[in-house]
Amino acid sequence: MTTELFNSEFESIAGELKSYILRITASIADAEDIVQDTYIKASEKLHTFRGESSLKTWLFTIASNLTKDNLRAQKRWTENVTDITKEAALLNKQFFQEAMNIRTTSPQGQFEVKEHIAFCFTCISKSLPLEQQLCVFLKEIYEFKVAEIFEILNTTEAMVKYYLHTGRTKMMNIFEGRCALINKQGACHQCSELNGIFNPKQNTQHEIMKIEMAREANNKDKEHLFDLRMSILKEIDPFKSNASALQLHHLEHNRQVMEKYLEKKAV
Amino acid sequence: MTQNGKATTVRTTFTRATGISIEIKADPDVVWALLTKASDFPRWNSIVTSIEGNIALGETIKLKSILDAKRTFKLKVKEFEPAKRLAWGDPMGNRIYTITKNQNGGVTFTLNEKIGGQLFPLFAKMIPSFDQSFEQFASDLKKESEIIMNSK
Repeated sequence: MTTELFNSEFESIAGELKSYILRITASIADAEDIVQDTYIKASEKLHTFRGESSLKTWLFTIASNLTKDNLRAQKRWTENVTDITKEAALLNKQFFQEAMNIRTTSPQGQFEVKEHIAFCFTCISKSLPLEQQLCVFLKEIYEFKVAEIFEILNTTEAMVKYYLHTGRTKMMNIFEGRCALINKQGACHQCSELNGIFNPKQNTQHEIMKIEMAREANNKDKEHLFDLRMSILKEIDPFKSNASALQLHHLEHNRQVMEKYLEKKAV
Repeated sequence: MTQNGKATTVRTTFTRATGISIEIKADPDVVWALLTKASDFPRWNSIVTSIEGNIALGETIKLKSILDAKRTFKLKVKEFEPAKRLAWGDPMGNRIYTITKNQNGGVTFTLNEKIGGQLFPLFAKMIPSFDQSFEQFASDLKKESEIIMNSK
């Protein structure tokens, strides 16, 4: 592959790569750095790329290895991340002032419920063991096949199936227990609450009903509801969507809060 | 021992040994992963209600089971040979899990526990039979492993 062709192909894949790393690390700076490092590493090793896999698979392999190295020393988040970060946000006037400022001045500062659903999934997925989180995103959002994922993660087909099954099941159970969009008894209403704050003139219930997953909440098939949640994430580029500025600000807040929380817990 | 998922128990004055063997159509790594991920046990296993701690050689785990819901068993992991053999126990006895790869691509899973000692005859009648819980454990492990292997 020529350098020119590689550069052009890389450019077409870079957006997906960046959103993947963001969703795994929850860090804008790390996502940007790792995409750059992936480019450098891939350029240096381009002569070893034989085309046995697609370029996208090869780049995701390099990026996944760099991401795993980056996260090796970090603790996993907890399932109740949204409770912990909500409590911190309520005590942080500056956070809300900045968010309101983004909401009113940025072209990408809209608040949309479906964007928050995607954001929420990113945060809670960080409570999964890293291999499970990587497999869930690679399969459900970036649509790699199991055979490609075990190449990307340098493991076996059986273990990819194990990570996928356990990761999916754990996420389904967490949302079934918490998310008020699919369970009337669910304790978490954050997407509705935030919609009320950022879009006070909107009828929140009306907005929620625009989301297929919420409309199908009575469907008892957990797998189907999970797939609908995944389809929301697939549609969203967290760096380019209409709500990206607001959600990235929120994500950065959550990352800082969780890092401090886990540091304090370890002492 | 036949691989039929039925437990057998052999009693002597000072010991009691229960064993079970079952064929599982799964990769040994998957069976091993299920047996060694402590926090995930209650999701797939209907006998173990919780395991605290890290299932690794030399570690002590705290296990709760439906056999005696009020009691917490403190068990030391005594053997840990990935995808082959795991053993934990206390001074009363050891529970040994083995995974043997079969030629047909699946594995034979066996679970054995021998309890006993000089004082065993005094409290033997107070310890419930393990047969049913071993059968349920093996059945749960088989079911979950095969669901994973058959997933797309």
